[in-house]
Amino acid sequence: MKVASNCATAEILAGAIALGEAGDEQRHAYREHLSTCRHCVMAIGGEREIERVISIVAQARDQERWQPDLRRLRARVPTPGYAWKWGAGLAAVAAVFVVAIFATQRHTPVVVHSVATSDLGAVTAFSTQTFPQREHRAESLAFTPAEAARSTITFEVKLDARGEPVRCTVVKHAGRASLDAAVCDAVMRAH
Amino acid sequence: MAGSGMRSTLETSVAMDRTAIAQRRTEVLVLEHQTKLARYLRRMVGDAEVALDLTQDVFLSAYRTLQADPARELRVGWLYRAATNAAISFMRRRKILHVLPLDRDLDRNAWRVDEHGAESVDLQAALARLPVEQTAALLMTSYAGYSSSEAAQILGTSADAVRQRVCRAMKTLRHVMNEDSNS
Repeated sequence: MKVASNCATAEILAGAIALGEAGDEQRHAYREHLSTCRHCVMAIGGEREIERVISIVAQARDQERWQPDLRRLRARVPTPGYAWKWGAGLAAVAAVFVVAIFATQRHTPVVVHSVATSDLGAVTAFSTQTFPQREHRAESLAFTPAEAARSTITFEVKLDARGEPVRCTVVKHAGRASLDAAVCDAVMRAH
Repeated sequence: MAGSGMRSTLETSVAMDRTAIAQRRTEVLVLEHQTKLARYLRRMVGDAEVALDLTQDVFLSAYRTLQADPARELRVGWLYRAATNAAISFMRRRKILHVLPLDRDLDRNAWRVDEHGAESVDLQAALARLPVEQTAALLMTSYAGYSSSEAAQILGTSADAVRQRVCRAMKTLRHVMNEDSNS
């Protein structure tokens, strides 16, 4: 029992030596333990052996050449229904438009809808996703840049006889083509 | 009438709010730490594709945290903690489900494609044999460069426990190296 306890302490000392955190006193204590413990000599080795083994980690890190292709970063969608939740939400918004248009046919059908920044960010993220490379996975996640934090988008949706959108045209640009495309894309997908 | 072109107008008024701040701060974190974090995760899980997925999860989690509290200070240690937890969860799931091959030779072949140093491949072969807590301690210190005290804070344990795990990980690393030189 005493031996095991000493060996556990020796492991901590060896770890400190490996990490360059051991002082003279700790190194001396480790040497003393090794002089009485053949098991640790065989399993861990002396200070030079410890430094040799641990240097492999640093060498491996320095020789690493794998470059993560972050343009291809695939996101695990937070919840299985993430994209479809937004799809459903956008479908509901689109449905409100259609109802509003039918209800106000004699008037200019203008629907002012306020969308929070978080919604817009989600619209952008949603539109960048390509399904399904893997189940519940998206190809990328886009963030709305801060400079686009204040913008107004006006777009026209052309519907067919069944009320399905066939074309989305941006009438007033948001100031950024990708955001225009994202909103239109999301509205078209929502159906 | 429904067939004729119908027009609807959407005016989207967007104010700069916490989401924009969170997005900007997350972008900074991504730019600064994405490569190191992805490499750390690749070492942890032994699979590049999974590492990319987990890296994305970590940044998404950072984004949500900042969105909830834009003033919160998120240090790189927070990212490593989230990454380690994500990797540990993944490893445990993988152990249960056996969804990925665990054959050591298969891992080696995959790693040889990406790495030109024998040490890099040897290290990965040894890591594949370690309990995940030991892998995390070894990588957090010798690979990511944290002291045992800093790693202990990130991993939620004591500095001595980190040192002991590093030592035990080294035992396995040494054993694998000796095995290879004898084969």
